[in-house]
Amino acid sequence: MKRKEFIKKTSLFVGGGIVGPYILPSGRLFARTGTEKAQHVVLVMFGGGVRQQESVLGRYLEDSQGVSGAFGNIMPNIFSGDAPNKKIVYGRDISGEPRGTDPIPRLISSPLSEQGLFFPEVKAQSAGHYVGLNTLLTGSNGTAQGLKVRPKNPTIFEYLRRHRGFNATDTWFIGNSIGNSTPLLNSSDADGYGLDFGANLFVPPVTFGSYGKNILSNAKPYSNSDLEPMYQMKQFLDHSFALERLGVKSIKNSNTEKTQIKEFIRNTFTKQSLGQIAMPPAAFGGDAMNISYAAEVLKEFKPKMLAVNLSAVDGCHSNFTGYLRSLHSADHITGWLWQYIQNNIPEMANNTIFIVAPETGRNLNPNPIIDENDWFAYDHSDANSLRVWTVMTGKNVPIQKIGNESNPIGRLTDIVPTIADIFGIYDSVMQSGYIDPFAESQFLRI
Amino acid sequence: MPSFKFSIFSFAMILWSCSRQVEVQYGVNDISVYESKSSKIKPKNEAEYISILYTNLFQEAISPLQLFQSQSVMYSIGDQNVAKELVLSNYFNTSSILIPSDLEMRASVEKFIEDTYKRFYLRKPSEGEKTYFIQYIQTHPELTVEMVYTAFAASEEYGYY
Repeated sequence: MKRKEFIKKTSLFVGGGIVGPYILPSGRLFARTGTEKAQHVVLVMFGGGVRQQESVLGRYLEDSQGVSGAFGNIMPNIFSGDAPNKKIVYGRDISGEPRGTDPIPRLISSPLSEQGLFFPEVKAQSAGHYVGLNTLLTGSNGTAQGLKVRPKNPTIFEYLRRHRGFNATDTWFIGNSIGNSTPLLNSSDADGYGLDFGANLFVPPVTFGSYGKNILSNAKPYSNSDLEPMYQMKQFLDHSFALERLGVKSIKNSNTEKTQIKEFIRNTFTKQSLGQIAMPPAAFGGDAMNISYAAEVLKEFKPKMLAVNLSAVDGCHSNFTGYLRSLHSADHITGWLWQYIQNNIPEMANNTIFIVAPETGRNLNPNPIIDENDWFAYDHSDANSLRVWTVMTGKNVPIQKIGNESNPIGRLTDIVPTIADIFGIYDSVMQSGYIDPFAESQFLRI
Repeated sequence: MPSFKFSIFSFAMILWSCSRQVEVQYGVNDISVYESKSSKIKPKNEAEYISILYTNLFQEAISPLQLFQSQSVMYSIGDQNVAKELVLSNYFNTSSILIPSDLEMRASVEKFIEDTYKRFYLRKPSEGEKTYFIQYIQTHPELTVEMVYTAFAASEEYGYY
């Protein structure tokens, strides 16, 4: 063989080995289409419907209730800007003082929006919760998405497991409720994807709440030598039954992963009884509990992708004061989660991209319901509800602000392409046929 | 005279129209009816699975509160196999559970297997299934009734009816 021909063939062979297709556990071929920007992604679905005016725009009561001079930022961990100095009701209670007069100090050194890529004016695709959550997790606009059914289109978990070959315990969805279709968000019913590629799911207020404690906390710890024969017998029984029909539809972990999950649940109840669950210092309630247990899951499994949803701000339908407090609290726990990852999970610190985005906004005009302060409540159904923001920070994320109130840039459906881009499977996901055609990676919108 | 003839005619008609009724009685033989695994096509929902399992293991109905809590907890865990195994191991850690002893299992393995198939699957084991389990139990001295019951209760067939 001539030297020139030898070099040519060798180069092709080596090059092919690098960029050529990999065979995934699913048996499907895929070509990696980009470099990985970080090894972990945490998505905080800042749920419940967040009004631009009280969040990113920092207008507090001036805009919503017409209280002159009562403006300022009540989300210091996410956005920059001075806090309001008039009619403070969004903080903690102090004995002997009016309710909510003690704002929670910022936890992190600088707001997340100053640490990364900040899109202050983004278009949401739905004014509803479930379709909004679907948008965040599927990258599709949610047209014809029904309630009480799994997402129509594949979730980011399925894309990652199918196209990137991640295990079940590499992907987690931490829901906050078993109602409102939330526990169905860990997987779609889409052809070629579905539960075989779905994420693990916990709903901490139930799994680790009083129900979980009653039903699960007494579970026996089995050693691997106990489990092995059980799984062998079960495998025989399932194989025998599979001759007759298809298997049960549920996401599936390997036996090792199942053991790890069961041990995690058992240890978590032990930590709970000893008061050792990591908690944000100044928050309580369902959202704080969700974030706490999300942190426990992150610490144990170091997943590639975890999404956690919050929803307390949805109290804005009937209680504006409660909404302000929930918004302030959600900001606190979001900042705490980012800080927890950096300080307590060395495998993920400096190797994680953290994304925060609401699933929908809220109305421009209030409904007639007034609260304890005679302030009007807000629903979510008009054009203002389609105004949201996104913040992304972490490894390889540039520090930049893109767009403003008069120049909206980006869509909520960008989140899935962005995560796909982070993990180097952008083209596979964009070519799946399920993604909103107007969506694209936020890295490409810079 | 005509009335006499009419009476005779009527009497004859009555005699003729009446016939002895033959009473037929059908006996029913006792027979055991079992399911076939091929006929199990409907998945049990969480409530059905939990209440049937609880009745199976404790020989009494589950309370509505416990059923609701169990169902909620199963919804809250993504991997249903993990959820089932945890609920099961919780039950096995309860003293009021009614299951055979390990000694009883070892005393008559074949009977134990047949009883277990009927108890969980409502059917008799095939010869292949029976042979597998007899061999498996005999060659695994560490095996307990709890382990066998866990395998059955967590199996896919038990999730269908």
